[in-house]
Amino acid sequence: MSPDLAGYIAEREQILNGLRGVLIDRMRLRREPDEIDPDAPLFGAGFALDSLDAVELVVCLDTMFGVNLPDNALLRQHMRSLNTLVDLVLAYRRGHVAL
Amino acid sequence: MSLSEQVAAVRGSVTVSTGEHLVCARVAGGDAHELLDRVSPRQLFVRSGQMLHTLLLDDAAKPLADVYICCDEDDYLVVAEGMTGGELAAYLARHAQGLAVEIADLAQSHAFLCVDGPYAWELIADITTPDIIGVPYLSFFRDDRFVCFRAGKTGEYGYDLLLPRDRVGATRDQLLSTGIRLDVRAAERDALDLAALEAGFFNVRKQVRPGLTPVELQLQWRVSAGRSYPGSAVLEQHRKSPRGRVAMIASVRELPIDAAIELGGERVGSVLDSGWSHTRDEAIGIALLDVAVSHAGLRGFTCGDIAVRTISSPAINNRSLYVDPQRHSFAARDKVDFPPLVRPSW
Repeated sequence: MSPDLAGYIAEREQILNGLRGVLIDRMRLRREPDEIDPDAPLFGAGFALDSLDAVELVVCLDTMFGVNLPDNALLRQHMRSLNTLVDLVLAYRRGHVAL
Repeated sequence: MSLSEQVAAVRGSVTVSTGEHLVCARVAGGDAHELLDRVSPRQLFVRSGQMLHTLLLDDAAKPLADVYICCDEDDYLVVAEGMTGGELAAYLARHAQGLAVEIADLAQSHAFLCVDGPYAWELIADITTPDIIGVPYLSFFRDDRFVCFRAGKTGEYGYDLLLPRDRVGATRDQLLSTGIRLDVRAAERDALDLAALEAGFFNVRKQVRPGLTPVELQLQWRVSAGRSYPGSAVLEQHRKSPRGRVAMIASVRELPIDAAIELGGERVGSVLDSGWSHTRDEAIGIALLDVAVSHAGLRGFTCGDIAVRTISSPAINNRSLYVDPQRHSFAARDKVDFPPLVRPSW
């Protein structure tokens, strides 16, 4: 595995684990971290988060990762799974996000 | 009508399809809850009128069926995909030893019609009552003609109607004629499967292989830890040492099922499912990958001579996320500035 790929994976895992911690500590999801699959749906089925959890997630993205999101309906597309949130954080860090 | 037109209807208006992939069993009797609690990998906390989305596993923790366990007052309805009605009834009976239950295979007498799309709620409201727009996801209600389950596996509004077989044809005709104003389309199972793949839904008919459990299939949200159910001991072993993990993949061409995926010349996985996404204008699929590389956003994989990358699930930005039955309608859809059906690629 190339160093670039290994570095990218390590960065994804670091963000993913941080977000898993948010679900467990802030949203009281009764799961072990490795039970929280990165592509599992966050809302509706899956972890069944609600609108209050969505607000909490926005706050945590700001405080933990410096991702400052506007109150925008388009945010929904990034709150589908932990992987889509990780994509968002990475894009924000690289200056690719225009929300 | 072409596959692409059918998928476009799922994403933009409403489709009607026969649900031959679904079967239903009714479990009645004083121990009905006990039986479902025995076989459900997920904690059986479901109130009357609600549906619990889980799986039925074999003793090796392999998913046999993708199921909704539906509490119907004192009884339970089990809606299953991946089994015949007879197989479902036999599975339940096998685990019912010592229990006072009656298991009825409704597939003998009943069948499903499926209504999917961002405006599916308008069509169901037209043939029932406007009140249905308040029916929450994963709940069901009765009409004098059918039981309507609000579910679906396309990422759009979905309603699965369970009705006597002799009423299927007339009800399908009614849906198609009533839905003309909604640009309704008849859809085949291939189109619905493709829509489910785009939306990241597990397909029990295509994505199961020997040795794979909910751990590898990213379905751990469908099971609860600390419970005893068929396959639970094996599942715990897999949790400690998974045999890979599925990831969504994208490529310029469809990939052969079960073909090897390589990274840097080494085999790191195989293709479980693949199809052409007309919505994304590229092939997407599901691959089982070594855990170390089963992350989204990775490039450099190959399948034969085809470049493959991993992407996050779901692969699309469903229109139904933005359609509010309280404010929107199919007739006024052009007045709403909906976001694109595909998230930006960074």
